[in-house]
Amino acid sequence: MRIAIRHELAITPPEGATNAVMHLLLTPQSGPTQTVESWSVSTTGIGNAARFSDAFGNTVHLVNQARPDGEWKVSVTGVVNTIDRHGVLGRSHHGEPVPTIYKRATVLTKSPVTMWSKFRGSSESRLDVLHGLMARVGEVLGDGEGGQEQSQSEGRQSQSQGGESETANMVDLTHAFVGAARALDIPARYVTGYVAASEDNEASFHAWAEAYDDHLGWIGFDCLLQMCPAERHVRLAVGLDAVSTQPIRAVPEGDGLKQIAVSVEMAQ
Amino acid sequence: MGDTTPFDEMYNADGSVREPYSALAQWLDEQPDRGLSLMSSDAEAIFRRLGITFAVYGSDEGNEKLIPFDVIPRIISAMEWRRLSRGIEQRVRALNAFLYDIYHRQEIIKAGRIPEKLILQNSAFCPEMMGLEPARGVYAHIIGVDIVRTGPDDFYVLEDNLRTPSGVSYMLEDREAMMQLAPDLFQRCKVAPVENYPENLRRTLESVAPHNTSGSPTIAVLTPGIYNSAYFEHSFLADQMGAQLCEGPDLFVDGGRVYMRTTTGPERVDVIYRRIDDDYIDPLTFRPDSMLGVPGLFDAYRAGNVTLVNAPGTGIADDKAVYTYVPEIVEFYLGEKALLNNVPTHNCVDSDERAWVFDNLQDLVVKEVHGSGGYGMLIGPTSSKALREEFKKRIEARPDNYIVQPTLALSTCPTFVRSGIAPRHVDLRPYVLIGDEVRITPGGLTRVALKKGSLVVNSSQGGGTKDTWVLEE
Repeated sequence: MRIAIRHELAITPPEGATNAVMHLLLTPQSGPTQTVESWSVSTTGIGNAARFSDAFGNTVHLVNQARPDGEWKVSVTGVVNTIDRHGVLGRSHHGEPVPTIYKRATVLTKSPVTMWSKFRGSSESRLDVLHGLMARVGEVLGDGEGGQEQSQSEGRQSQSQGGESETANMVDLTHAFVGAARALDIPARYVTGYVAASEDNEASFHAWAEAYDDHLGWIGFDCLLQMCPAERHVRLAVGLDAVSTQPIRAVPEGDGLKQIAVSVEMAQ
Repeated sequence: MGDTTPFDEMYNADGSVREPYSALAQWLDEQPDRGLSLMSSDAEAIFRRLGITFAVYGSDEGNEKLIPFDVIPRIISAMEWRRLSRGIEQRVRALNAFLYDIYHRQEIIKAGRIPEKLILQNSAFCPEMMGLEPARGVYAHIIGVDIVRTGPDDFYVLEDNLRTPSGVSYMLEDREAMMQLAPDLFQRCKVAPVENYPENLRRTLESVAPHNTSGSPTIAVLTPGIYNSAYFEHSFLADQMGAQLCEGPDLFVDGGRVYMRTTTGPERVDVIYRRIDDDYIDPLTFRPDSMLGVPGLFDAYRAGNVTLVNAPGTGIADDKAVYTYVPEIVEFYLGEKALLNNVPTHNCVDSDERAWVFDNLQDLVVKEVHGSGGYGMLIGPTSSKALREEFKKRIEARPDNYIVQPTLALSTCPTFVRSGIAPRHVDLRPYVLIGDEVRITPGGLTRVALKKGSLVVNSSQGGGTKDTWVLEE
């Protein structure tokens, strides 16, 4: 599927701030499930930006402004061709760290024992366990019925997701899945990206999880949509949790990140 | 190891003088009655003039203290040093190889030689470092290895300090003071120089500059500021190397490169000897509330535009729980047996081992896994029953937070105290520089526990220092 993406975000450094810096995780990579046809990131200072790979294999732009003046907007446009591989990405690629580091627990990925205990010591295949876990996370936290579980979308997380309940729920679901998989000794990572509209969902900036199977390699699990990512998903960045994959991290951060607009459309 | 008479570095059991100390013994005999006492007050005047002070956290006695200096040097023979320095070099090479592996393919974990959990769930492991290629493959460029001696041929490594080891300024100032106080003694003993440490530090830092550095690299020493207990050292080393001493706000990132504000405009910085802890070096990547660091610094490092010394994440190699695996680490990467001993270390996670520890607590030393400076420690033989009970509770609550070691009979050196010359326990921190080559300064910093019988040498807890001599052949 050929998908055209436009995404606008902004931060507003506090008045009088000097030497503001932004760390942008807004550049997708080509891989087994997608080929990037064209991509551009534009913002004040991008011409002078440092571009490099981070520890997780993402492409980063480090942008700075000596004297930012008001809103600092970032616009992303591009076209990505996707292939439906039922969520299977395969083994790690060059530039990616060893999968085991994705067993590291972080503050945001603490998952309650009740979420994963029934899978402990399971005789099912890892793939079946992961599908079971996706369903379990959906049951416990999905559709806004997560009243019994404590929300994990705290701290800096709110910066990137604007605090809308659907987004917060998606972040919680993804963290719960990632944390539960790690508790079961399965490497799991947090993925950001875009999803094109369908009957069930609007086009959006999106998040899901990927877990590692020794035979199949990395496999995507979208706990909000209860599916393995297919051709409507475009991968952007991966990391340990929502903090390490934030599309924009900034110092000083001002009032935080504002999502202005996102459109994800099937291109001709 | 607990009950034996400590090894005296100057005197044999029969009272005769050990060979390396013969010239010193004779010199001491020749000193007039109040000679050493006068020398001690001269030493204090010298240190006050040099301005060498340190701050003790949580102390009410004012912020700045003079570290006590003992006028009797500690002496190591050329042969002893050869052996020690070979062992140290082996250890620091292996630890750097370990860091490279941990932040790349993690072969040592795959081989089952070190538990995966110990690394991956360790707070000192820095996932942001994965896949980074540091200049010359070196992560820890400046290491201070804490060593104790228990016999003529018995040396143990207590700790490998790979983060930001301090104290080297005392090593340099102790030597300078000693040369002023007893120039005649230096004529009788051929002592290996330490004065070239700042020059060697500079060479080491220059040798790890990024590939895209043009001309001679610009070096900055990054300090948390004047309230840090080691601020004196930061400014001293910058001054001695001819480098700029900077605080976070003096540096900024532009176009992925790091610049220093100067009166003549921004100047690019190539190598930063940072004396700020990992968590605080860059609020964009690490603690967002840090006011000490430079926003974007870590990204500039990842982009290959600046070298951070030591690299972030080196703490995984000097973690007290990882320490027990160092002999394994040496074997795994170098295919050799470790030349220096580790102190036998028990963990408290295993319940049988914990029970044994509790039964023998009065003979053992308990340390916090992430503690330093002699804080949060229990020294069994000198502890009260109440304190031992308190530690049992703490260990019970968080067994993985503690390691337990036997009380080592640290060697003693003659030390000038109020009652005259008396043996006091000492340790040794040699300083190692790793860049284009491994440079070990002969000797290092000797810390001495000034209280009779005390084994705590930390300056924050009443320890002093001694000039450390390695004799040349």
